[in-house]
Amino acid sequence: MTEVEELRARKPEAWRLKPAFDARILLLSFLAFCGLALSAHRLELGRLFSDVGSFLLASAGLKDGSSIGDGMSGLVTGMFPIVVDERTPIEYVDDLEVRLVRPFAHLEQVATAETVLDPDTLEIVTRETAKTFLVEPWGYLGLVLLKMLETVEIAIWATLFAIAASLPLSILCARNYSPHILVYAAGRTFVSFLRSVPELISALFLVLAFGFGAIPGIVALAIHSTGFLAKFFAEDIESADVRPQEAIAVTGAGRLAVLRLAVIPQVLPSFTGLSLYILDRNVRMATVIGLVGAGGIGQELKGRFDMFQYDRVGTLLLVIFLTVLLLDFLAARIRRVLI
Amino acid sequence: MPAKRSRSIASQASAGRLLSCDGLVKSYGDGPPALGGVSFVMEAPQFTVLLGSSGSGKTTLLRAIAGLVPLDQGEIHVTGVALTRANLKTVRRRLGMVHQEFGLTDRLTAAQNVLAGAAPDLSWSRLLFQAYPTPLRQRACSLLAEVGLTEIQANRKARELSGGQRQRVGIARALIGQPQLFLADEPVANLDPQTASGILALLREAVTVHGVGVLCSLHQTDLACQYADRIIGLQGGRLVFDGPPADLSPAATAALFAGAGAAAVPTSTAA
Ligand SMILES: Nc1ncnc2c1ncn2[C@@H]1O[C@H](COP(=O)(O)OP(=O)(O)O)[C@@H](O)[C@H]1O
Ligand SMILES: [Mg+2]
Repeated sequence: MTEVEELRARKPEAWRLKPAFDARILLLSFLAFCGLALSAHRLELGRLFSDVGSFLLASAGLKDGSSIGDGMSGLVTGMFPIVVDERTPIEYVDDLEVRLVRPFAHLEQVATAETVLDPDTLEIVTRETAKTFLVEPWGYLGLVLLKMLETVEIAIWATLFAIAASLPLSILCARNYSPHILVYAAGRTFVSFLRSVPELISALFLVLAFGFGAIPGIVALAIHSTGFLAKFFAEDIESADVRPQEAIAVTGAGRLAVLRLAVIPQVLPSFTGLSLYILDRNVRMATVIGLVGAGGIGQELKGRFDMFQYDRVGTLLLVIFLTVLLLDFLAARIRRVLI
Repeated sequence: MPAKRSRSIASQASAGRLLSCDGLVKSYGDGPPALGGVSFVMEAPQFTVLLGSSGSGKTTLLRAIAGLVPLDQGEIHVTGVALTRANLKTVRRRLGMVHQEFGLTDRLTAAQNVLAGAAPDLSWSRLLFQAYPTPLRQRACSLLAEVGLTEIQANRKARELSGGQRQRVGIARALIGQPQLFLADEPVANLDPQTASGILALLREAVTVHGVGVLCSLHQTDLACQYADRIIGLQGGRLVFDGPPADLSPAATAALFAGAGAAAVPTSTAA
């Protein structure tokens, strides 16, 4: 009797069913546990738990002082109240006439007492001096909003460039539309390479190439996004329903015509969804890469953070948070309309 | 088993014939052949039904004629032109295909789907922007009206249409390229009987009004007998019946649908 016949002959009561967990899964779980334990030891993860624990105890008043609390309290107390106005001593303002006519802008005189040594009498005297400030009540908030707009613009341009580059690339990377298997392999490799470059690192080098500002940011984001979009566009093209494609091909139409009439309409909603996701992601990443000088609000944030101006950092973080929230909401609406 | 017949017989006279299939053999992997030497000829534009149970090779045969399935052996000529890699587009321009699952682009409108059938005659830039010339648009509209769609339905997305309406759009799309031969693979398998009759009546009209030859696969003997001019019976990848519906005796029908996998009754029926 062969094995198959033996199996067929067995009574239902004697059937053996596959166990939900077999030895292989148990062994793999054990190995994963060992690996994680080793890694936790190397990274001193124990300290994470003890620090968080003492911070929680300190917050509850059961313990005075914790390393996290000490580190953060300076920052948190420094952050509030946040800054929305801009006060500049008029001697530092070049274009006073222009800035004074803007809404809410006005001059303010502040009397300051100054202790100086009188050169004639050689006595120490206190002198009253009046200092004039240009006060723009919404000045700093305005600047931050402008920087935020610049960040969003960087993200939009990067996304547009990435879409434009990844459309043709995705055709080369789709197995069923690539002109040749070698082109397919080369395209896939290239796209993987683009995707493997982290934006923060490429921005670091692109700042050297293009100088500080928006351009290195746009290029860094576009490179990574192209890699991402081309990969997923290609996979959509590969998995599109073949029946309409065959129906058009059988009329004698060429591959590009089939692509246009039977593939693109079908994958368009998915393309739109992916592009919106990348736009959303690029807004967040554009903020981050500003930290290395690639323009936008991140650059401002890094500058203020390094100068310990935590009240301004507070304004910046609030604006970033609200913008990301707003864009999330907008993206959801656009998606609903388009798809 | 006469898997292969003398090749010269069909090739000689293939010119002037609508379709000639000669000794078609096709196996998938190392299973039994899906087509085990099928030969037949369609001379005039007729409604020819390929009748057979599921797995008898109907889809494989129709896809082979459309150049979608590479053959192991055999030759196909459409209006005298041999189906080869080099001639693929020339042959396909003379074909129209109607699918069991309709094969429409769901997100295009019914009218856009019909116009897509004219793709081989249009420039790339016209296709890119779907800017079709006015006479072609008018032709698409009159075809849609002919298959029974209204103006409102013509502007609906294909996925918003019922099964029967979709198949009507599929027929209009196949007609717009002015083919000489229609290949229809179980065009009514997914439809209720009443809708199915309407679709088969339309395919008959393609023969009578447009002079197109129709090769349509079916697995329902009653429908085949009702609409066909000629029935070709397939079983296990072999041709086991060929003749007008009147010749299809109950015994022949029973043999045709005898248990799948049973050896085909050896017959000498051929074109
Ligand atoms: N893509 C495929 N791969 C492997 N076997 C296939 C494939 N398509 C069809 N077959 C086999 O070929 C035989 C004929 O199938 P098909 O042509 O689809 O018959 P029908 O359309 O009459 O149901 C069947 O046995 C089926 O299992
Ligand atoms: Mg079939």
